[in-house]
Amino acid sequence: MPTDTTISQPGAIPAGVSRRERLAEWVDRNSGTFFIAPAVTLILIFAIFPTIYSIFFALSRVRFTSDGLQFRFVGLRNFSKQFFGSSEVHFLGRTDPVSLFGYACFAAVVIAVLYWWIRSFRTSTWVGMLGRTISAAMAIFLSWILCASLLSGNSIGTLYTTLFYVIIGCGIQFVIGTGLAFLCSQPISGKNFFRVIFFIPLMITPLGVGYAMRMVADVTKGPFEPLLQAIGLSDWVWSADAWSARFMMMVSDSWQWIPFIFICMLAALENIPRDHVEAAQVDGASSVQIFREITWPQVLPVAVSVLLIRMIEAFKIVDLPNIMTGGGPGSATESMTLHSMYIWRANDFGQSAAIAYLLLLLTVVTCASFFNYVVMGQIRKARA
Amino acid sequence: MSNASYRFRESERTLMQRLFEAPAVGKMSPVAKIVAYSLLAVWSVFVLFPIYWVIITSFKDAAAVNQGPFYIPFVDFHPTLDAWRTQFTEDSFCTVGAIGRQLWLLVYNSFVFVVSPVVSLDPMEPQICKIYLAFTNSVVISIFSTAVCVIVGSMAAYALARIQYAPRFGNIMMFVLLLVGVIFATTYAGIPWWASSSVALAFFFFLVRALRGYFKMHLRNGDILFWIISQRILPPIVVVIPLYVMFQAVGLLDTHLALILLYAVANMPIVVWLMYDFFSNLPIELEESAQLDGATRPYIFWDIVLPLTRPGLAATTLLILVLSWNEYLFAVFLATVKVQTMPIMVAAKNAGEKGVFWWEMCAVIVVMIIPVIVMAILLTRFISKGVLLGAVKG
Amino acid sequence: MAEYGHKASVRFENVEKSFGDVKVLRDFDLEVEPGEFVVLLGASGSGKTTALRILSGLEQPSAGSVHIDERNVTEILPKYRDISMVFQSYALYPHKTVAENIGFPLRVRGMEKAEIDAATLDSARQVQLESLLERYPRELSGGQRQRVALARAIIRRPSVFLMDEPLSNLDAKLRGHMRAQLKHMQKSLGTTTIYVTHDQIEAMTLAHRVAILERGILQQLATPAEIYNDPANLFVAQFIGSPPMNVIHGKLDGQDFVTNGVRVQTTASGQIEDGVMGVRPEDCSLATPSEGTLTCKIYTNELIGDHALVTVEWGDDQISVKAPKDFTGEQGDEVGVHIPRNHIFVFDRADGRRVR
Repeated sequence: MPTDTTISQPGAIPAGVSRRERLAEWVDRNSGTFFIAPAVTLILIFAIFPTIYSIFFALSRVRFTSDGLQFRFVGLRNFSKQFFGSSEVHFLGRTDPVSLFGYACFAAVVIAVLYWWIRSFRTSTWVGMLGRTISAAMAIFLSWILCASLLSGNSIGTLYTTLFYVIIGCGIQFVIGTGLAFLCSQPISGKNFFRVIFFIPLMITPLGVGYAMRMVADVTKGPFEPLLQAIGLSDWVWSADAWSARFMMMVSDSWQWIPFIFICMLAALENIPRDHVEAAQVDGASSVQIFREITWPQVLPVAVSVLLIRMIEAFKIVDLPNIMTGGGPGSATESMTLHSMYIWRANDFGQSAAIAYLLLLLTVVTCASFFNYVVMGQIRKARA
Repeated sequence: MSNASYRFRESERTLMQRLFEAPAVGKMSPVAKIVAYSLLAVWSVFVLFPIYWVIITSFKDAAAVNQGPFYIPFVDFHPTLDAWRTQFTEDSFCTVGAIGRQLWLLVYNSFVFVVSPVVSLDPMEPQICKIYLAFTNSVVISIFSTAVCVIVGSMAAYALARIQYAPRFGNIMMFVLLLVGVIFATTYAGIPWWASSSVALAFFFFLVRALRGYFKMHLRNGDILFWIISQRILPPIVVVIPLYVMFQAVGLLDTHLALILLYAVANMPIVVWLMYDFFSNLPIELEESAQLDGATRPYIFWDIVLPLTRPGLAATTLLILVLSWNEYLFAVFLATVKVQTMPIMVAAKNAGEKGVFWWEMCAVIVVMIIPVIVMAILLTRFISKGVLLGAVKG
Repeated sequence: MAEYGHKASVRFENVEKSFGDVKVLRDFDLEVEPGEFVVLLGASGSGKTTALRILSGLEQPSAGSVHIDERNVTEILPKYRDISMVFQSYALYPHKTVAENIGFPLRVRGMEKAEIDAATLDSARQVQLESLLERYPRELSGGQRQRVALARAIIRRPSVFLMDEPLSNLDAKLRGHMRAQLKHMQKSLGTTTIYVTHDQIEAMTLAHRVAILERGILQQLATPAEIYNDPANLFVAQFIGSPPMNVIHGKLDGQDFVTNGVRVQTTASGQIEDGVMGVRPEDCSLATPSEGTLTCKIYTNELIGDHALVTVEWGDDQISVKAPKDFTGEQGDEVGVHIPRNHIFVFDRADGRRVR
């Protein structure tokens, strides 16, 4: 692809240059291509090509035969199964009796989204408007599913389980991580000790985290068993209840990822010029005022970037539910990646690819919306 | 009012003031101190307890695990080395001789690996200690993939920071369309992939020549950079099924090479993103001066640019090393028998018929996480110097 | 490889350079004789550094050509131009020792280690650095770093030296010292040198010829004495000299310059409605109110040391006069300013052209 690059490497080689130098010269002149070609080629082969190939899986019914894979085109049937067909409950959750409360919430969300969408007509270009339309459509669809399943008292599917891990999980991690970073940026001794200790979970193999948490949270042999017995919960099993299982999953995920927020926010907090804070202290500002007026605005651009990175990774969650509950009870803790993986195990490549594609769509639209409306806004504000 | 009334006297402060007001700028009040330290202590316990639990469980025997929780070795249970012994010595292949032979094969294979492109650590016949096999697999895969990833990624990052590219948008669209055509032809029409792709490649170069003047829109370096970094958004599950089929087609399923390349690509966006920041912050005069003195670009990159970004390079390498070591999803799909990595081996311990032998599993987990904890401690030293923050600032 | 004493000529032919819509260099012509020391002088953004970078090959001209020794090098890579350059920031490699820094150009060319060491020592000796060869740049003072950069430039014995504000990062005292050393070195090596600066003192003291640039246009190319004594236009006249030349607005009527109703005799002749009369502070002198060419009020009187700088008001203009240090006039006093006829320059204000 980098076939036509313009590099300011002018003209002819003077006479009297040896052959060895000629080779070096040729490499030098084409260095623009040589430097970037390996990366671009690797990404083309191992990321772009499979991504496109995956579409054909998602649009087909794939079968193993003696001479390789057999593709039979089925159109969008693999996708429609997730929304209307046999897998609807698994993917979207139970959406059937929609309660009055659900309808009311949905109406409120639709009005809010439409207001935002119509208002942005004045300011956006048509490209921006296209993006906003996609974001708005996604928001309305997701809120319909939420209102019809959870808010109407029905169970949720893997779509909302994933979003639960992403939105609630990232939110909690962000708050705790930032709080810890703020504590560590205060004049305390042993800062480096805490920094190292708090950082370690991020680096530990997620799979190891899964098993460790499963052991720690074990209700019969785990360390908290005497405690549970003492408060009369000896028969309680967290992995049997959908929400407590999801909650445990989130605790484990937070154990691993709070360090990421912590370490980035701590670096950002320590990067704030000391004299800003000291000047405010001399002026007699309270620490709450200092945080709100001086510290927070300066770390906000970093904060939203860090949150974005965390969100991108959170959509990929698979190890923890796979290890800790195997997706259970039922499919209560199944993330979309795990959902797709299980279907792959059942040799239905087409549906598996379709779910993976839906995850890609969800990730891209959510992250792009967050990037465009939140991160870019903050960066623009910081530059202005 | 006289000036004297403003004077600050320690003795005049009320008890409340003494407790809640900071005694000086840059200090904390006693109450704030107590709150801060207790929060930090609670969090330290929360962080360390699971690790502690894994470590002590690896020294328990079946009874100590199954008969309810025991917390402190030597106090409420008697630690044994049973689990460790099972892993390392009772595996009948885990003898000094066998490991020595495998070590030699590891060195030999690593050499061959560099020389020829498609080699797996083949003589890893089943007659080898399982944990040793998994550990060496993990070491080989993460080191090689980190090397590929950091070298290729920082080359690209450097090029994007210093060389102007302007690929035509039309050509890229054409490439993608031809790619779609190739896949369509192979999946539905049954044309062999090598035939369709060579026809498409020929078409591509012909069309690029023929339509040179038609496409006016060029991409800039920023677009390419964004494209590479945005690859990180791609969930691995999207590509893993086609990759499984691809690797099967070329006979690379369950080989080191497959995982090395995949991990390298999966982590490439991080390398490019971080290294781009380091490279674009270098003063450009150094490179211009070297250029005037006759150095070629590869020479400048190797002799001047890389040494100057050494802290950043080291931190990035450590980070990628950890990520490759921890990877699970690709391995679960693509490395089934021969190139089992540590995470896969741990997961395999879960599938016992007599229930999970937690003590054995914990021993393996400890083996698995010791390297990453060491790397984490090394990495914090870089991060506390602010080495990795630059890229986040946007 | 060229020996010391090889002197190349340099020629810019109609060189243009624009970055997007901004034209930084317009129709730039310059010829440098072999062995000559030419200074490109101008304010920031005048295009002087761009001209240097085009000659070095780091920048490609939008139009025109560059020649070294009658060889068209416009399309030739920097490394084949046989030039070396000293950067404003010195561009020393922080991870290499002084010796490695100095020897770098030879190492790149794949020379033998023994040869490199000998040449390194030789050029380090020329700038008195032989005792610091094992240090790293961060352990050196500003002046020493500057000398390392010089040594790295001379080790290759190029036919042209390029220097981009090499002294501007030094403090004032050291700058004077390094200036003298630079001039001495250029004289003894005899290498053609092109030197970019915004400092007129450097330009006047170092150069054989000075090229003054403004907004990408070459204003005047002449020896320092000519530039001072015979400026080609108003810009050059005001740019050179400290304090700058006084300007008095008025009109030229024949040989007389009329300002605020007073006729001053000049050597120029012509009819210009909107004109400017320029005269240097050091050429004016003070007199009693009745004797001088112009009669003005003192605005302020500053004692500089060896002289007093007296500023007087003439209509809307201010005139500075270098007076003897014992001059005691007070603010508000009437004083006469004597302007000798043959030190008056007249310019057309519309385009800054000199009227003779």
